[in-house]
Amino acid sequence: MIQSLIISLKVLLVDVPLLLIIGTSSGWLLAKKDFPGKPILETALMLPVALPPAVLGLYLLMALGSIPAMRSMGLLFSFPAASIAALIPSMPLIISASRTGFLSVPNSLEEAARTMGKGEWQIFYRITLPLARKYILAGLALSSARALGDFGVTLMIAGNIPGRTQTLPLYIYSQVESLEFAKANAAAAVLACVGVASLLFVRRMEGRS
Amino acid sequence: MTWLDASFRHSIGDFDLDVDISMEKEISVFFGPSGAGKSMTLRLMAGLIKPNGGGRLVLGNRVLSDESSWTSPKTRRISMVFQDLALFPHMTAQQNVAFAMDDRMPRREANKEASKWLEKVGLNGKKNLFPPQLSGGQRQRVALARSLASEPDLILLDEPFSALDTPLRRSLRRELKRLHRETSVPMIYVTHQIEDVCSLGDRIFLVKDGRITGKIRSEELLSGTGERWHSLGWGTTMEGTVVRGDGGMRFLWNGGKLILPPSINEEGPASAFISPDNISLLYPNIPMDPIFSENIVRGTVLERYIIGNLCHLHVEGGGTSWQLEFPSTSYTSLDTEEGSPVAMAIRPRNISIIFKNRRNLP
Repeated sequence: MIQSLIISLKVLLVDVPLLLIIGTSSGWLLAKKDFPGKPILETALMLPVALPPAVLGLYLLMALGSIPAMRSMGLLFSFPAASIAALIPSMPLIISASRTGFLSVPNSLEEAARTMGKGEWQIFYRITLPLARKYILAGLALSSARALGDFGVTLMIAGNIPGRTQTLPLYIYSQVESLEFAKANAAAAVLACVGVASLLFVRRMEGRS
Repeated sequence: MTWLDASFRHSIGDFDLDVDISMEKEISVFFGPSGAGKSMTLRLMAGLIKPNGGGRLVLGNRVLSDESSWTSPKTRRISMVFQDLALFPHMTAQQNVAFAMDDRMPRREANKEASKWLEKVGLNGKKNLFPPQLSGGQRQRVALARSLASEPDLILLDEPFSALDTPLRRSLRRELKRLHRETSVPMIYVTHQIEDVCSLGDRIFLVKDGRITGKIRSEELLSGTGERWHSLGWGTTMEGTVVRGDGGMRFLWNGGKLILPPSINEEGPASAFISPDNISLLYPNIPMDPIFSENIVRGTVLERYIIGNLCHLHVEGGGTSWQLEFPSTSYTSLDTEEGSPVAMAIRPRNISIIFKNRRNLP
């Protein structure tokens, strides 16, 4: 189990910064900017949460396996594939949370800062981001929990290779298959605790004004 | 050449704005109904929107925008007090004010300066409170301090006192004039309240339907006869006298009398102003609010026209021409065709009194 736990943690180590950077910047883009094709981008970014994991896994498998540039990177059934598999279905959660956060910041605050001689980066770091932060952190907690718990997509594109791509949820599945319920339960307890903790964290963020 | 010269043409949907403004280093007031383009003009000046039909803004000897150039709000040195004040909720009063200065000086010095500004607006001891912990009037003062602290060349105020009650508005207007005297920063103040116009402005621009329809200096307005008022072209103004009667003050003019609100407590020659959206029409045979029952004027509709979803009426009655404005979906069962008799009711608190030859409002 320790081996799987380490792989799961490594997946989080890669995915959490990506969730933060990509999720927050997409959320900002969707909340604050108007551009042609925005509804299409919005739908595309939200699609992974609506697609069944098996379908999403299949499409990713085809993409990674048949597009020459991707195939040559040899991502399939490796640790990077496990990271991608966990990342993609959890991304919509942080995007929509941070979009809500950015929308909650009145434009007049940013305009006021502009008339006080502040540049756009400064406005973002000192006004917009701090005010949207609790939404972003709540979104990060939920999306990280989703990433940690991914099963279907990981199985489709990264497989279930102990020591390489076997994350905790896949470990549980393998143990149940071989009727090792005690081991399965131990791993399940870890994931359940993380799930409860992330919900408590989200509640705390939502309660803070 | 005046100190400020501005002209903007900008359109959004079927609203189009075409304004020319020039003023010295003084307080100007943009006065007019909601939706007339007052706020849009301020936003164009601040550089928050770019005029899509061209424009020009010159401040002193700085050309901030013309056909070939456009200065971003960051470097315009024009600060703005927003209608919702736009205080940063995650910063204390002091941090809000210091934010306006911390590019020019170290953070610690900015904090010290911010405390000074807060003292200047009478907020000693409040500097560590966050905006939600302050009262409405205190928040206004923080917003004023913050806009002054950025050392702007011009301050734009977008109806900042509109949410406050009359006594508080009065004290804040006094405050604003004092700050203007102390700092001599020119200001443009947007309002749809006639009291603000009379007490604040050196120069008054009437804004209506995206145009400047009148430019008046405030002395002319206060000393002049009714003609000047009518040149505002909006609302109903009458010349008459305020007298004390049984049970309250009355405004008498040669066509009738009106009961005044209790806030008026002196006598003398004065003008009364009633904005067009503050006059109600009465349905015959329907019981009315007792407050209405005495301030009723009967008249005849001279003209009726509908622009957008607003219906405008000109009514002749009591020797005066009255202007009314209401949503065109109202009073549909009432006959308001030209020539129809109507009864108009005015709540005492909606009557503004401006005494002659002096600024009765601070």
